[in-house]
Amino acid sequence: MGALLAYALLYASPYGLRVLTVAGVYALAAIGFQIVFGLGGALSLAHGAFFGLGAYATGILGSQWGWSFVATFPVSLLVPLLLALVVGLPVLRLESHYFALATLGIAQVVLLLAVNSPGLTGGANGLPGVPGIVLFGWAVPRGLPLASVVWAFVALGGALAWRLASGRWGRALTLVRDDPLAAGTLGLDVGGLRLAAFALSAVYAGAAGALAVHTQRVVSPEVLEFPVMVSVLTIAVVGGRGRVAGAILGAVLLIHLPEWFRFLERSYLIVYGAALLVTMVLMPHGLTGLLDRLFPQRPRPLPRVAAPSVVARPSGPVLRVEGLGKAFGGVRAVDGVSLTLEAGSITGLIGPNGSGKTTVINLISGLERLDQGRILLSGRNLTGQRPDRIARAGVARTFQAVSLPEGATVLEAVATARLERDRTVAEAEAHALWALECLGAADLAARPCADLPAALRRRVELARALARQPAVLLLDEPAAGLTDAEKADLAGHLRAIAALGTALLVVEHDMGFLLPLAGHVLCLDQGRTLYDGPPDGVRNDPAVVAAYLGEGAP
Amino acid sequence: MITLQLLVNGIALGAAYALVALGFVLVLNATSAVNFAQGDLVMAGGLLAVALAPVIPLPGIALLPVVLVLMAALGLVLALAAYLPLRGRPPVSVFISTIAVGIILQNGASVLFGPEPRAAPPLLSGGTIQLGGLVVAEQSLAIVVVAALLIAGQQWLFGRTQLGRRLRATAQDPEMARACGVPVTAMILVTFALGTAYAGAAGLLLANRYFVTPTAGGDLILKAYIAVTIGGWGSVPGAVVGALLIALFEVGVSSVLSYPVALGLLYATLLAILVARPQGLFGEAARRRA
Repeated sequence: MGALLAYALLYASPYGLRVLTVAGVYALAAIGFQIVFGLGGALSLAHGAFFGLGAYATGILGSQWGWSFVATFPVSLLVPLLLALVVGLPVLRLESHYFALATLGIAQVVLLLAVNSPGLTGGANGLPGVPGIVLFGWAVPRGLPLASVVWAFVALGGALAWRLASGRWGRALTLVRDDPLAAGTLGLDVGGLRLAAFALSAVYAGAAGALAVHTQRVVSPEVLEFPVMVSVLTIAVVGGRGRVAGAILGAVLLIHLPEWFRFLERSYLIVYGAALLVTMVLMPHGLTGLLDRLFPQRPRPLPRVAAPSVVARPSGPVLRVEGLGKAFGGVRAVDGVSLTLEAGSITGLIGPNGSGKTTVINLISGLERLDQGRILLSGRNLTGQRPDRIARAGVARTFQAVSLPEGATVLEAVATARLERDRTVAEAEAHALWALECLGAADLAARPCADLPAALRRRVELARALARQPAVLLLDEPAAGLTDAEKADLAGHLRAIAALGTALLVVEHDMGFLLPLAGHVLCLDQGRTLYDGPPDGVRNDPAVVAAYLGEGAP
Repeated sequence: MITLQLLVNGIALGAAYALVALGFVLVLNATSAVNFAQGDLVMAGGLLAVALAPVIPLPGIALLPVVLVLMAALGLVLALAAYLPLRGRPPVSVFISTIAVGIILQNGASVLFGPEPRAAPPLLSGGTIQLGGLVVAEQSLAIVVVAALLIAGQQWLFGRTQLGRRLRATAQDPEMARACGVPVTAMILVTFALGTAYAGAAGLLLANRYFVTPTAGGDLILKAYIAVTIGGWGSVPGAVVGALLIALFEVGVSSVLSYPVALGLLYATLLAILVARPQGLFGEAARRRA
C-alpha cells in the first residue's frame, strides 16, 4: 500500500494515474468476488453482470436524468443488490457447477436486455456524457484526485471485507464452503449465509461498476461483457482466493500487466487466461499464498481455556422419535422406528449393514427429509425442521466418514461449533479449547486437521460436537478404526459426557465396545425395529441372531 | 410448408448442438468434470475449418476428417494442461482451469481472425434439394446425416468395442476400473480427445449457415449445458434429445419473435428448470457419488 501511494504521488503520469484508477475499480470488484467465491465457495459468474448493472444505473441516471454522484451511487449499489436477492434465493440452492452456469445465464440475459433496449441503455452504442464524481460540491478532477477517491473506496471496502472475513461471519462462510453438511449440523444457516455473501458481493460489484463509469464517462455494453468477469476471476485467483490483500495485489498486477508489456495490447486476455491456468495448476493459493509460504507468520498463541456457560439440562426423556419412516425410491430405508432417549443415558443402535442406522441419524438431525413420523425434543416438535434449527434446539452429531476442513487447525475446526452461539471468534476458540480439553486432546489444538491420523480425526470431530453442549448427541460409528486402548479411552469419555446429562445415541458394529457402554439397545433390520431392550438380551434374541447370521442360522 | 421448413432447420441445428452436448457429457461422465471450454472448442473447430478451406479447396465433408484429427489433438492438450494436473482437487478447480482454456482460445481466435463473423465451406455444394413440394437446403440435410453418423459411431464405439467397454468402465467408477486393470488415465485422454473432436465437428457443421465469431463459445456452452440439464445430468441419449428440443425452441421462437428473445426465453427456461427440477426433466443419470 505504501509503495502504491508513493508511486501515485511521485512518479505516476496522468496516464499512469488513470491505469491506477482502473486498478482500484477492479480491486473493489474483486474484493466483493472474494466474499462470494473465495470465502463462500460459490463461483458466481454473475459478478460481471452486477458490475455492469451498477455501471448502467449510474450511467443512465447521470447522463439522462442529470442526477449527481450522491444520488446515483446508492442506486448503483441497490440495483445489483435487489437482483442478487431475487435470483439468489432459488439459484443458491444449486450445487457448484449448476450455480455457475445459472449465474452465467443471468449474466447473458442482462447483456441481451442492455443491447436490445436502445431506448433505455443506448443499445450497442451506449450512453455518453456521464458526469464525474461530485463530493460535497467538489467536482473531483481526473488524475490524482479521482485515483485517490477510488482508492479511498477500495480502502473502505477492503477494511470492511477484512473485518467480516476474519470474524465469526467469515469463519462460518468458510465452513459453508468447505463442508455445507457439517455447517448445517453445527447450527449455521447455510442458505442465509450464502445469500448474504452473494448479496454483499453484488453491492461491491455495483460500487465498482459505478466508479468505472465515472472514470470512463460513458457506459456501453462492454461493462456487461465476459472480459470484465474474466478479469475479476483472474485477479481473485492469481491474487489468492478469499484474501482481501489478494484482490488488491491481483488487481494492481493484472491491470498493469498490459501496460508493462505493450506488445500484449490486443491479446492481454490471452495472458490472463494463461495466468489463470498456471496459477490453478502451480499455486492454487495464489500470490498471497506464496508470500505466506515465503514469510510464514508465527502461529498465534492459544487462547486461555474458558468453559462455556452451563446450559440447562432437561431430565427424563429428552428426545422422542415416533414412527419414523423414509423411503429411497422403492426401498423402505427406515420403516416405523420409534425411540426415546433419556437424559444422561447411552442408547446403542445396531443392525446389519444397510439396516437404516445412519438414515435414522440423518432423519433426526434433519439432513434427510422424513416421510412419516414425529421428532420431539423436550416436547418441542422438530419434525421437518432444517438441520441448523434442529442443531440450535440441542442436537449434535458426528459423521461415519469424518470430515474436517482441511485448511484449518484443530482449534479452528472445533471453534466452528461455537460460531452460532458465541459473540467473537476469540470466545469461540476459548470454548473450543475447553471441549478439546474435556476429551484430553488440548495438545492437538494447533495442529492442522489435514495432518491428523484417523483416530485423532474422530476425537476432534467428537470435540466439535461436544462444544455445542448438546442435549442429544448422535454418534455414527465413533469407534471405527480405533485400537482397543483407544476404544476403552473413548468409552470412558462417552460415559463422562452422559454423566453430565447429555443423551447419547451410538451407532456401532463393535458389540464388545457398545454393549457394556449402552443402557439400552435397539436393533434394526431392513428399516424395522427387531429388538428394543436391555443390552444383555440382544445376543440371545433369535430375531437379532437371524438378521446378523442369515435366516437359516441356528 | 413454412412449419416443415422450420422443422428441418431446427433438426439440423439440433443435430449440431447434439454433438456439442455429446462431447460435453462424455467428458463429464469420464471425469465428473464440467468442461467449460466446450463452447470455445466448437468455435475453434469452426475457425479451424475456415482456416483450412483455402489450403484444402474441397467441400466441407473432406475437411471433416482433418478437423476431427486436429481437434482430437487439441483435446489431448486440454486434458494434459487443464485436467490431469488438477485431479484430486475440488471440482471447481477444473471448472476454472477450463474457463482459462476457453479465455485463451477465444482471445487467441480474435487475435488471429478478428472479431467479424466467418463462414466455413458447406459440407457438399451448398445448393438446395426439392423434396416433394419442399425446398430444403442441402446443407441442413448433410448436417443431420453427418451428425447422425457421428453419434451412431459413438454408440458403436461405446457399445460394441473393447475400447468402449473400458471407456464406460472408467466413466462408471474410475477406482474400480483401475483395480480391474483398465488404464484409466489413457481412457480419460481418449475421452477428452473424442469430446473435443465432436465439438470441432459441430463447429464445422455450424460455421457454414450460422457463421462463427470468436465470442460464440459462451452461448454454445450454455446451450450444451441446458441440453444436458434437460436430458438428465450424465445421460447420453438425454443430451441428444435435449439438444434437439433446444434447437426447435430456438428456431420456432426466433421465427415468430426474434433471436434475442428466443435466447432470453431459453435462459429463463434453464433457470426455471434448475429451480424446479435440479435433477433434469428425465431424472438424473449420474447420481452424485457420496
